[in-house]
Amino acid sequence: MTMLSYRDAVGKALQDSMRDEPRLIIIGQNIAAHALKPLAETYGEERVRDTSISESAMVGMAVGAGMKGMKAVVMIAYADIASVCHMAIVQSAAKLHYLTNGRLHCPIIIRLPIARFRGHGPEGNEVGASWFYNVPDLNITMPGSANEAYWNFRDALQRPTPTLFFEDRSLHARSGEVADNNPGAKAQVTRFGEKLSIIAAGRTAALAEDAADELARRDRRISVEVVSLGFIKPLDKETILKSAAKTGRALIVQDEPPLAGYAPYVRCLLDELPAGSLAAPPRIIAGADQFLPFWDERPFLPSLEGVVAVAGEMMR
Amino acid sequence: MAATQSNSDREQRDGIEWRLYQNMLTTRIFEEALVRWEHEGKISAQTFPSKGQEAIAVGCCLALEKGDDVIPSFRTRGAMVAMGVSVAEQLREFLHTPLAAGDSRDAPHHASWPERGVLPGSTMIGGHLAMAAGIALANQCDRKFNVGVAFFGDGTLGSGDLHETLHIAGAWGLPLILVCENNGWEMATPWQKVRKAQSLIPYAEPFGLAARAVDGNDVLDVYHSARWARATALAGQPVFLDCVTFRVGLYSSHFGEVRPGIEKELAAWEERDPLKRMGDWLIAQGAASPQDLDRLRQEEERRIEESLNEVLAERTNMAKGARG
Repeated sequence: MTMLSYRDAVGKALQDSMRDEPRLIIIGQNIAAHALKPLAETYGEERVRDTSISESAMVGMAVGAGMKGMKAVVMIAYADIASVCHMAIVQSAAKLHYLTNGRLHCPIIIRLPIARFRGHGPEGNEVGASWFYNVPDLNITMPGSANEAYWNFRDALQRPTPTLFFEDRSLHARSGEVADNNPGAKAQVTRFGEKLSIIAAGRTAALAEDAADELARRDRRISVEVVSLGFIKPLDKETILKSAAKTGRALIVQDEPPLAGYAPYVRCLLDELPAGSLAAPPRIIAGADQFLPFWDERPFLPSLEGVVAVAGEMMR
Repeated sequence: MAATQSNSDREQRDGIEWRLYQNMLTTRIFEEALVRWEHEGKISAQTFPSKGQEAIAVGCCLALEKGDDVIPSFRTRGAMVAMGVSVAEQLREFLHTPLAAGDSRDAPHHASWPERGVLPGSTMIGGHLAMAAGIALANQCDRKFNVGVAFFGDGTLGSGDLHETLHIAGAWGLPLILVCENNGWEMATPWQKVRKAQSLIPYAEPFGLAARAVDGNDVLDVYHSARWARATALAGQPVFLDCVTFRVGLYSSHFGEVRPGIEKELAAWEERDPLKRMGDWLIAQGAASPQDLDRLRQEEERRIEESLNEVLAERTNMAKGARG
C-alpha cells in the first residue's frame, strides 16, 4: 500500500508503464518540454513525442503502431476533444481487434482529462463517456480514486482493445491508498454499509464516499455502501448486483445527462435481481440535460448535498 | 532483359518484368471474375474493380522488401495479389469459409493478412493514412529498415486525416510512402469541380515529403519510382507518389459506370492500358510472343475459376464435416 494523490497516481502509472514496457510511446501536445518533461528526460523524445494539433491522426498513428506490436498513450488535452477524433477512436482503434479476427491488437490508452470547474466553458467542460458507451470492444474507465487511477491505467495497457481513460482533474488533489496488486477491472467497494448502495464512477464515486462519510457522521446507525466502478465498460455487474442485493437500496450517480451512460444501464441491470430483492425503487442522480455554462457548472451537476439528501430520503 | 530461347523458361518468368505482368494479369482477371460471379449469384460482395489502375498497386508492392507493410484502398486488390495473398485466400474472405483468416469480418476489399504485410484499410476515407504513418513510426522506433505504405484515391485530398498525416510524417521524417491512385474522379465528380489542380504534389511537398509524378499506367515507371521512394523514405524523408491514371472499369459492381460523357476519354485511356503496355514491352524485348501472352491469360482464367471451385468445395465439405 502506498498513499498517493490522484494526480501522482496517474503520473506513477505513466512512469511505471514507461519503465516496464520498452515499446510504449506517449503521443501528445506540449508534453516533452512541459507536461511530461521528466519522462522525456528519462526516456527521450522518441518515446515522449510532441505532435501538432492533429488528434485524429494521433489516434490513427497509435493504432498503426499497435498493428506492429507497440503500445501507446495518446494524450488529449481535455475530454471534449474526443469529439475531434471520434472517427479514429471508433473506426480505427476500437474495431481493429474485431475486424482482423483477433490477429491484431490495439493496446492503446486515450487519456481524456475532464476539465470542469476551471472556466473552460461549454466546449471544455464535458465528460462524453456516454457518447462512446455503445461502442463494442472499447474499454472506458473513469477512475474515482488514486488506486483506480493507477491500476486501471496499468490494466488498460494489457488489453487487446483500446481504453478511454477519463481522468477527472477535479480529483487531482484527493489522496488515497494504492494497492500493491492489480484488482483487475473489478469495481471497488470503497465504503462498506448495510442500508444503501451508491453506485458511481469518477468524481461522483468520490462524492458518494463523501456522502457516506457525512451520513455516518450525522447518524452512526446509517451505513452506506459505495461501489466505485472504475471501468464503466466492461462493467463489473457481479459486484453491483451483490451490493444492491445486500443493502436492498440502490442509488446510481452519474456526472453526465441521464439519457445514456452507465446510470440508466445499471438501473436496468438491477431488474435481474430476484423479485423483492430491493426494499425501494432504485434512483438515479445525473447531470442536467443541458450544456454547462462558463459561469459555474455546479448547479447542473450532482453535488454532495444532493447525494446526501436523496440517500437520506431513500433510507427513511 | 535479354531474350532467351524459350519464353516459358522458368528463370525468365521469375524475373521482375514477368512478375509485374503476371500480377497485373491476375488482378485484372480476378476482378473481372468477381464482378461476373456476383452477377451469377456465386458471391455476394460488391467489387470495386481497379481496371486500368493495376500497375500502381502491383508496381509498388513488388518494389517492397520483406517486413514492409501496405494498407490498400478499397480499389487496390492488386496489392493483395502482389503481396503474395493467393486468389483462394482472398476468396475465402468473400465466401466466409471456415479457413477465412479474418473470419470474413471485414469487407473483402479491406481484408488483411498481417503476416504478409497486408493490413486492414478503412472505409473512412483518409483514416488509414494515419495508421500507415503509425506503422512507419513503429519501424522508426524499432530501428527496422522497413516502410509503411498506404494507397488511396485522389478524392482523399478532401479528408482532414490526409493533411494531418502529411503534417506529422513530414515533421518526423517517417519511413512512409503515400501512393495516390490519381484517376481524376471522385466517383461521379471530376477533379475540376473539387480542386484547382489534378496533381496532388503541390499539396504534399510543402509538408516536407519528397514527391514524384508517376505515370500510373506504366508499371515500370511505378516500380522504379517505388524503389526510389523506398530508399528515400528509409533515408529519412517520407514520399508522396502521385500516380496519374484513369479508372477504365466500373465504379463498382453495384453502381456500374457513374461518369457522364467520358466515352472519348475512356477510349484514349484504353489505348494506354497498363497490362497491354507491359505485354507489348515484353514482346518488344523478345521476352514473350503474343501467343505466350494469350496462353498465359487462358491459364490464369482457368486457375482463377479453379480457385473459386476449390473454395466453394472447401466451404461445402467443411460444413458437412462440422455437421458430421
